[in-house]
Amino acid sequence: MSESLQDVITAVDRMNDDGIIDLVQRCLDEGMKPIDIIEKGLSRGMDMVGQKFEAGEYYLADLIMAGETVMRATEMLKTKMDPGQTGKKGKVVLATIQGDIHDIGKKIVGMILESSGYEIIDLGVDVPPADIVEALKKNGAKLVGLSVLLTTMVEGIREVTERLKSAGIRDTVRIAIGGACCTQQLADEMGADAYGESAIAASGIYDTFRAELGMA
Amino acid sequence: MEPMSPVERVIRTMEGKPVDRVPVFCAMMESSTAGEIIGKPLLSNEAVMNMPVSRFILDRWGPMVTPVLFRPNLSRTMHRRNRGQVAMGFDAIWMHYDDTWVVLDHETVAFPTGSIYKLVPDGFGDLTYMYKKPGITSPEEFDAWPFWPDSDAVAHRAYRYYKKSMKLFGERTCVFGSGFAGGLQEAMNWTFGIDRVPLWIKKHPEYVMRYLDMMESLWMKMHTAMLEAGVPVILQTDDFAFKTGPFLSPKMIEEIFGTRYRKLIKHVHDRGAKYVLHSCGDNTKLFDLFIDWGVDGLHAYEPTSNVDIYNEKKLHGDRVTIIGGMGIDYHLTGRSKDEEVVEKTKELIRICGPGGRFLLAPAHSEDGMPSHKLRVMLDAAREYGAYPINVN
Repeated sequence: MSESLQDVITAVDRMNDDGIIDLVQRCLDEGMKPIDIIEKGLSRGMDMVGQKFEAGEYYLADLIMAGETVMRATEMLKTKMDPGQTGKKGKVVLATIQGDIHDIGKKIVGMILESSGYEIIDLGVDVPPADIVEALKKNGAKLVGLSVLLTTMVEGIREVTERLKSAGIRDTVRIAIGGACCTQQLADEMGADAYGESAIAASGIYDTFRAELGMA
Repeated sequence: MEPMSPVERVIRTMEGKPVDRVPVFCAMMESSTAGEIIGKPLLSNEAVMNMPVSRFILDRWGPMVTPVLFRPNLSRTMHRRNRGQVAMGFDAIWMHYDDTWVVLDHETVAFPTGSIYKLVPDGFGDLTYMYKKPGITSPEEFDAWPFWPDSDAVAHRAYRYYKKSMKLFGERTCVFGSGFAGGLQEAMNWTFGIDRVPLWIKKHPEYVMRYLDMMESLWMKMHTAMLEAGVPVILQTDDFAFKTGPFLSPKMIEEIFGTRYRKLIKHVHDRGAKYVLHSCGDNTKLFDLFIDWGVDGLHAYEPTSNVDIYNEKKLHGDRVTIIGGMGIDYHLTGRSKDEEVVEKTKELIRICGPGGRFLLAPAHSEDGMPSHKLRVMLDAAREYGAYPINVN
């Protein structure tokens, strides 16, 4: 691995958002392809951050800063890539359930997934179940992330799963849920496929979904 | 042991002294639940706010008419919530002071400390607020924010609210006084945006310090107002953690907030009152820090947050009062069965009750929480919570 690429990994790990652009530019100047810088530099850096987060060495604020560092570099690299090269792991439709307008956790999950190579279709907050199903159909997406903070809104998850069944696409779609009131028990009760306890877990969950759906 | 008054029971519990039974604290009460207990108001807030004339006025002159049109409504709502908690017979209640909002339009309000919320129907005829976005996204916006609170005026209004409330309820329950906005970290999260706070700390530390200076001064005055009104317990809300643990590292939390919290807590202790910190999320790595700051009690211990309340009892139960444990994710919802609430109450009392320093409580409140489930919890606590604890 080149020294410049290693420096990119280190910059992500150390959350050096100020220096990342220069380091990425150095990689480009050395002839590296943008997609390689993302996959072998930024993503690996983010993996290290994720491991440290799971080990309790890093905290949520560190995760956000590392994500910010990756996003800054990715935005710059996107301008030098063909559209088809970004988000090649697949599309993830993210939404906060109807009745709930909290979206901070969802935004962080989106940031982590995007830096892992997914294309994010963020429907925003207070999203009716019908709109979620419609977005899946319209975008040809098979992966969904539902965010819910409030216990009173959890039935919205069940409604999404029911609507997917009615639309005949439940078996080809995978749904993960997350948020303050969520548990594995709730995911089971509402018919979701997975519960993500942390933003960093999201990447692994969707990688598993891809494998299950034969997208990998 | 002779039966005690609620105040005596709660304060003695927090001091680690023997009491007659495990006290029960109500972690606030939303309008829908209060309405089940004391009856709904004749005219709902939702109806009032959605009248065409209200919309017309609020959309045009929201900030100007806030003191005369909006705050009296908030004041009535706060009193109704207090009445509901007291009517149920809780030993201690969360008495929240909240009439500091500024109306921007008929569906948007601002916290004077710099954050924006959406007013939404709670599904039961009242309105509730949900965080919408930070009010301040740049140093320029910080300097230009038009609603920074006049802390003396806010404290004065809070004093009148608590004075009146203490006269009404002070002998019937132990009042935990809680002021508007969040604590130092939480307020900062809402003002700057959680996903932007790390950047603010890194890029604009001088603004962060200015903000915290203002908040510390505001809280100092708010606490003084509550204490002078006779509130025996100050309850500070400050969500330091999420389900995955603290937002900032414990080291950073100590560096940024430690000195300020020590000062605030000492101020309360010097005036003979107790200090309780409510912090949602998995605070396992922070409990030692909080205790070192001097808190008398800690609240939430949500079952969904990964905090192991039973382990915490073992680790810290002799140094701090553990308050909470009853989940609002399942037990205090319409989805649970009464017998499950009874069993959970018994379990919490059996494990956390011995040795005292435990207040049974919901981890939070939520719109639509059935009052019946609170009643089941309360009744079970009275039946099984007598000292010495003997629960199978």
